[in-house]
Amino acid sequence: MPEEIHLDEAHEYLDKVIATLQKMNRREKGPLVETLEHLSRFIRSTRNEISSMRPESASGNYLSNANDELEQIINETANATNAIMSAAEELEKLAGCIPPEAADRITLIVTGIYEACAFQDITGQRITKIIRAIQKIESKVNALAAACGHASAEPGEFGGPASPSNGDAALLNGPQLSNEAKSQAEIDQLFANA
Amino acid sequence: MVDKNMPVMIVDDYSTMLRILRNLLRQLDFNNVDDATDGTDALQKLHQKKYGLIISDWNMQPMTGIDLLRRVRADADLKHIPFVMVTAESKTENVITAKQAGVSNYIVKPFNADTLKGKLESVLGPF
Repeated sequence: MPEEIHLDEAHEYLDKVIATLQKMNRREKGPLVETLEHLSRFIRSTRNEISSMRPESASGNYLSNANDELEQIINETANATNAIMSAAEELEKLAGCIPPEAADRITLIVTGIYEACAFQDITGQRITKIIRAIQKIESKVNALAAACGHASAEPGEFGGPASPSNGDAALLNGPQLSNEAKSQAEIDQLFANA
Repeated sequence: MVDKNMPVMIVDDYSTMLRILRNLLRQLDFNNVDDATDGTDALQKLHQKKYGLIISDWNMQPMTGIDLLRRVRADADLKHIPFVMVTAESKTENVITAKQAGVSNYIVKPFNADTLKGKLESVLGPF
């Protein structure tokens, strides 16, 4: 793993290189010094911009608050889903007290409600994916702020897990987008041929 | 002949999905249903009774569904139990990995009651 260089140190090294080059003759140093000076100005300007971002606001409040809000959505949808299912379960019990034809119809409708309630599991998994993505962004913002010498920022302080590229962990992707997800028929075909 | 009184283990980290599965299984007359919220919890419970069927999600912590499947298939007391994966993981690699690990069938979420019944019949026999 390469040694980490602080942005201030990089800038210091660059200044030293520029000073050394300035001692060389005009023809040798011309375009190179110009390029390095441009780079130096760019680093200084970037460092100042990042330092003025107040990363504690971005990572400490906005992003963490966004995660809290998303977790709250998961909890609230779970509560609502449980309430819907409780009502459906009561309806299903009532089916035993009415004529068979109507009871069958009620049971069919209740089954549809149970099936639809699976939305909470699917949306919950999707929101969890967003929470992990925000955690990664938060980690990057903190790392960037720390590289710029921001005292309150710690690289990886809120770091989310790195994206695994192989092994079982790479198989944990949650629900696919609807245009990418396989249907049960496609799964059945895959399963039969695997 | 399928014994519908046999203990069935359902495993999912979402309590709403456990409730959906329990209700759909009840409609199919499977009333002896226990649940667990991850593979570790399930594995512990699986040693306490003679289960006739496991229905498990994949994406759970700390022990995932695929780890649970491998542990079940490696356990002399449990390896015979039919194991159906019910998951939102629908990538080709997931299906292949699960099949290689010995899964009995694979249902992709969201699913409907007919799909559940069909897959259970393919695993347990018609009922």
